[in-house]
Amino acid sequence: MSTPGAGKAPAAATDAVVRVRDLTITFPTMDGEVRAVDGISFDVAPGGALGIVGESGSGKSATSLALMGLHRGTRAQITGEIAVVDTDINAASDAQVRALRGNDIAMVFQDPMSALHPQYTIGNQIVEAYRSHHPEASKADARKRAVDALDRVGIPEPARRFNSYPHEFSGGMRQRVLIAMGLVCEPRVLLADEPTTALDVTVQAQILDLLDDLRRDLGMSLILVSHDLAVVAGSVDEVLVMQKGKVVERGDVSDVLARPEHPYTQALLAAVPRVEVSRAQRRAQVRAERVHAPDSAAEDARIAASDAPAAEAGESLSVMESGAEIEAGEPLLKVENVRMRFKVRGGMLAQGQDFYAVDDVSFELRQGETLGIVGESGSGKSTLSRMVMRLLQPTEGRVTFEGRDITRMADRQLRPLRRDVQMIFQNPYSSLNPRITIGDSIGTALRVQGERNRQTIKNAVRDLLDRVGLEPEHYNRFPHAFSGGQRQRIAIARALILRPKLIICDEPVSALDVSTQDQVLRLLAELQDDFDLTLIFVAHDLAVVRQVSDRVLVMRKGKVVEEGEGDSVYENPQHEYTKQLLTAAPVLDPAEARSLRAERARARGTEESAAAS
Amino acid sequence: MITYLLRRLGAGVLLLAVVTLVTFMIFYVVPRMAGQTTEQLATMYVGKAPTEEAIQAAIARYNLDEPVVVQFWEFVKAIFVGADYTFGNQVTQCSAPCFGYSFQTYQEVFPEIIRRLPVTLSLALGAGVVWLVGGVGIGIISAIKKGSIFDRVAMGLALAGVSLPVFFTGLLALAFVVHAWGILPTPEYTPITENPFAWLVGMILPWLTLAFLQGAQYARQTRAGMLETMGEDYIRTARAKGLSERRVIFKHGLRPTLTPIVTIFGLDIGLVLGGAVLTESVYSLQGIGRYAVQAIVTSDLPVILGVTLFSAFFIVLCNLIVDLLYVWVDPRVRVSG
Repeated sequence: MSTPGAGKAPAAATDAVVRVRDLTITFPTMDGEVRAVDGISFDVAPGGALGIVGESGSGKSATSLALMGLHRGTRAQITGEIAVVDTDINAASDAQVRALRGNDIAMVFQDPMSALHPQYTIGNQIVEAYRSHHPEASKADARKRAVDALDRVGIPEPARRFNSYPHEFSGGMRQRVLIAMGLVCEPRVLLADEPTTALDVTVQAQILDLLDDLRRDLGMSLILVSHDLAVVAGSVDEVLVMQKGKVVERGDVSDVLARPEHPYTQALLAAVPRVEVSRAQRRAQVRAERVHAPDSAAEDARIAASDAPAAEAGESLSVMESGAEIEAGEPLLKVENVRMRFKVRGGMLAQGQDFYAVDDVSFELRQGETLGIVGESGSGKSTLSRMVMRLLQPTEGRVTFEGRDITRMADRQLRPLRRDVQMIFQNPYSSLNPRITIGDSIGTALRVQGERNRQTIKNAVRDLLDRVGLEPEHYNRFPHAFSGGQRQRIAIARALILRPKLIICDEPVSALDVSTQDQVLRLLAELQDDFDLTLIFVAHDLAVVRQVSDRVLVMRKGKVVEEGEGDSVYENPQHEYTKQLLTAAPVLDPAEARSLRAERARARGTEESAAAS
Repeated sequence: MITYLLRRLGAGVLLLAVVTLVTFMIFYVVPRMAGQTTEQLATMYVGKAPTEEAIQAAIARYNLDEPVVVQFWEFVKAIFVGADYTFGNQVTQCSAPCFGYSFQTYQEVFPEIIRRLPVTLSLALGAGVVWLVGGVGIGIISAIKKGSIFDRVAMGLALAGVSLPVFFTGLLALAFVVHAWGILPTPEYTPITENPFAWLVGMILPWLTLAFLQGAQYARQTRAGMLETMGEDYIRTARAKGLSERRVIFKHGLRPTLTPIVTIFGLDIGLVLGGAVLTESVYSLQGIGRYAVQAIVTSDLPVILGVTLFSAFFIVLCNLIVDLLYVWVDPRVRVSG
């Protein structure tokens, strides 16, 4: 399996803790060999920090698994040289690699929700990590070390939480537990593979701060793997940009970010949504790029037409009669004091408790506007958007769409609303039925709304596929043939087919790589121009929301804490929570990232001293 | 936690009550709806030569002329406090739990079931251990050595086990193991208190036969579950900690795999405790299953009813045990209950 390097002498002792030379990883597949990693080399100095950046499929995860020797027992073929703390991973015996794992090099994974065993207490799992490398250690000693490690990563009351199960922790806390598990043997290298991708911005900032602290305090080396340049910017010294298994750029992090040389790095950098770029700047940029795009003759025509959006909308898809024009000045959507109550089940005799997922939220939305709703998980943003869709019926309050009260409307009467309001969901992998061709998937809505002519439906779908940047010939393909970004385009086409007035995008790009994210956002912006769409854009990513929204609603625990014009919310935040969110957003400039980190540390310090006094 | 247990217990009791009601309806109310008169019903209680007197006596004895509600009340009351039955001028006391008398033998149903219980218990528990250990063991090895010769042979056998009925495998085993090769004596039940060795020897074939059928399913389920579990992120975490492969498999991989197995095992063992009809018949073991078969052949209503309720009781009991085990097996149950 991983023997080709076995003939070589053990790695020469150098001062680097991790030394990779000419590493190539090949996976045999039905369609021949796939070279996931193609001849990469790098070193990590003791106490140094390396960022590995690339999109999905770039080979960054295959590389990190190879460092841990975790390709053993699979069909992956590894050539080249990997030395971790002077052990040649390719040549070492299974026992030697096991002794290394967790002890000299520890790994933190992407999804803290699934990386901990649900049936053992966290204490048990950390103690196990320690005792497997220190079999002579007593139970009490191992326990003490585990509690220390939990304390070190900022788990409150570590001795008590020792006996808790993973499901009793939030995502961020679980990631801390995983880091504690990695720390318990005091490894020389900590390898973090997308450690914050599944987390909210503020939690992401906390975890990155923690990793940075630990690295400095314990003198560990850090390898931080991510698809997002902004995530690694403030945390590493050196960065490696990977594309299709090859290193395309490598160098000091400030140099690479300030003066990217390789076109791929430049493209990646350009794709990172920047919280400091305003909506107007972004729009101007997108429009300009659209006009200058080489193959955009047709696009130009559309842009010209977009000045008269209603007319253009009428011709491009003449399937549906245009809805009643609403009076000028009347908002398209009006949400007044809505609340959504869920009952939390109590014990057998105990009274069930009420929990308000959305608590007294009001806003108005005008034709053609985009409203951004920002908040972390549990803030109620998804519940709110589902109430606007009337997928949920608000417990209290009123939702008015085009002047009609839809709050308590019966399902039958909601039919026109189902046509006028569409939704794009977060996960394009699970929101498309894998057994239905994409053409049918998109066309179904037309059939449901009463269109009988198959050819009409087919033509409409093909037009739309073309419009969202897919081949009309792919009509009969199934979703598995498409990438995540393409699938999201399909989902967009499906939402557009009925010519809705309002589209609710619930985290439409958070499951996508940065560059794909950028493409999808551009597409949405174009479509909004062309189809005169009104959008509600729900996301936890502040930068993304800023670029698409006219107005922004910041939610926390079911309540709106701040509302206003996008730029004013971002440039002059009023509420403490908004400020906190903004300092937590990752930035590309390493120096700025460091200063934001310091600011967060200060904020935490004042919080703690306030709590102590 | 306590709430969870109480709720489970309450659900179990409720389920038993519903089963009692439904079975009672099927045996006592449905025939009437189909047009049977009180006399015709009573005739079945009397035996081969029904006289008018005997029929009237039976009607009085079993309250057949009372409204259905009263009959059900009497039926339930008999289960809890027993009942007195008059045969001519003789009064017999049927002590609780009383399920009435057999039409055919005039013996009380409950003691007859209890008399046969050790046979069924020996068969069910013995076979249960064999199929659980065998099935899960084979499933684990198959999963670890996926695609190997062992895996292929084991899964082929498992397919055969699931597909072949007990009366086929049982007769085959009898023909070869007992009659042709003489490795084992003809299976028969000897109480374990009398002669443990004879008990063991006598039960081996029935155990293996029943376990082959059931264990096959467990092997397949374990293999599938294990393969799925070994692909989980937390298995990668366990390997990344530097644990030995043995520990990864047996500590981290096995427990989630066993969780659903515990559930189906509870159901299966409950089912078999209610009588492994085919296995008992093939090996002529006088267990509860055979008792039920005989009762069905002779339309012996009280016996059928008694066995049905008894089986339901076992299934509910085993499920309750499973629910309790779940608290230990899966910590997530503890809060969500």
